[in-house]
Amino acid sequence: MRAVHLLLLLLPGVGVLLATFGLPLFWAVLGAFGLGADGAGFTLIPLTDIFAEPKYRKGLMMSLYYAIAPTTLTLFVAIPLALMLQKSFIGRKLLNGLYKLPLAVPAIVAAFMVLTLFEQGGFIDRLLMLGGWNIGKIVRDPLGIGVILATLWKDVPFMTLIIAGAFGAIPSDTVHAARSLGATRLRAFWAVQLPLAMPGITAATLLCFVKSLGNFAAPSLLGPAYPLPLSILMYDSYRDGDWMAIYAMGTVLILAAFVVLAAYYTLTAAAFGTGKAASSR
Amino acid sequence: MKPVGSSRSRGLLLSLAALVCVLLMLGLPFGIIALWSVSDGWFPPSLLPDGFTARHWLMFLNDPSLRSAVVNSLVITFVVTLATMIIAMPTAWALARYTFPLKKVVEVFVLAPLIVPGIVVAVGLGRVFLKLDLAYTMLGVIIIQVAGVLPMTIRILASGFEAIPSDLIAAARTLGANRIAVVRHILVPLSVPAMLAAGLLSFIGSFEEFERTFIVGAPIVHTLTTRLYINLSGAGLVVPVASVVCLILLLPVFLVFMLTSRIMRDDVMAAGMGKL
Repeated sequence: MRAVHLLLLLLPGVGVLLATFGLPLFWAVLGAFGLGADGAGFTLIPLTDIFAEPKYRKGLMMSLYYAIAPTTLTLFVAIPLALMLQKSFIGRKLLNGLYKLPLAVPAIVAAFMVLTLFEQGGFIDRLLMLGGWNIGKIVRDPLGIGVILATLWKDVPFMTLIIAGAFGAIPSDTVHAARSLGATRLRAFWAVQLPLAMPGITAATLLCFVKSLGNFAAPSLLGPAYPLPLSILMYDSYRDGDWMAIYAMGTVLILAAFVVLAAYYTLTAAAFGTGKAASSR
Repeated sequence: MKPVGSSRSRGLLLSLAALVCVLLMLGLPFGIIALWSVSDGWFPPSLLPDGFTARHWLMFLNDPSLRSAVVNSLVITFVVTLATMIIAMPTAWALARYTFPLKKVVEVFVLAPLIVPGIVVAVGLGRVFLKLDLAYTMLGVIIIQVAGVLPMTIRILASGFEAIPSDLIAAARTLGANRIAVVRHILVPLSVPAMLAAGLLSFIGSFEEFERTFIVGAPIVHTLTTRLYINLSGAGLVVPVASVVCLILLLPVFLVFMLTSRIMRDDVMAAGMGKL
């Protein structure tokens, strides 16, 4: 009776996710090896092609770059901001309400903002012109600075929200105890606050990283025309109906996500070993 | 003791700097877009538009394709939020209040979509939709958006339901409350913050969704975001028109955001996401 009850409760959520996530993903990974409905028998060629063909190989690098660079930069802004929000100061309430606004702004609008501000002839360029400077190429530049700016604008509030929540959940006694036992402010942060907030920081990093890895709008509007990240190449292949290539790219992208996340976990576990143990759910 | 005065003035300076930064980050881009939407010619190097006009806004009112994008966006967002909540609630409840074998597996599976880039799932599901004739339909867009926001919704609801003390329910039951009374007076009031957070998140997640909608719906079913993308990626980018679409896109999200931020608690959302 209880088991039936439980199954009925689990069915809607798990069922929908099985149908809309589990199965398509399973077929996609099968398809990458030439198996399944679209395949013509087991093969590794589509997968090896990704690493052999410069278009795809550079696309993978570009995808990783668009994901790792903004996520890392965001961390450096979000952690101090989240720490600052723990203190009480004049205007804190206003700041706390305002900084979350970009969470509600679609990524494309953020991309459009970067266009109007930073493109040559954009507002910032015009401001700089007054001083006789030139902005240079920030939009569609080889380094994808425009893409990174748009991603940062969206990710900083998102990360700050989660990390501020993580810092806020630390009992203030622990930090006071560390301080009264002679820890400097920096040491209290490094040895107490940071390890205790690590689960939140990890979650925020993971979510931002994965979101940026599949980012499509910003790179296609603001990024250089070559190399294109895998997300855009996948979309192009989708419109062409080139399923083998799509499945192979998708599989490689998932693998890449796993490799980077595994590296992240290894690094943070080495740096904050105790924090991880204390934090496991 | 520390010199209180100097640390306070330094704190004031710091908070002032942070506020100015945030205002600049938000005000400048929004302001420029707002100016563009009413500009009548704005050429470099002028810092303000050369003239003002309501032309671009009027054009929007007379553009049926844009109007249908607004309607699509609102309908899809409404249905997706409602459907997601209905689907997520029982599962979140089961994950929060039951212990069962393989629970960890189910939990990991529910969160798994969060570590797979959305575009991979979108093209995979898009392939299935092509076979089922669901591609380029409203229903297809709704399904793929539900799939996108469901994991986070379940996660936030589950962490909200977990926080309801079992003692409270047991106490009410021993004091003679029946099941319905427990639901009405304990479960519903105590789950409101989590439900609000989850609902807001799926609303925003659906309204701002672009990649999945673009893959499954465009070019037949357009929402405001896919419409804006077409405006921006086309050869003749008309900045004022794109600005109008942007502002229309921002309006409902900001409204909902402002309304709910008064009653919403940050910690609920942060707690849900911080426990991955």
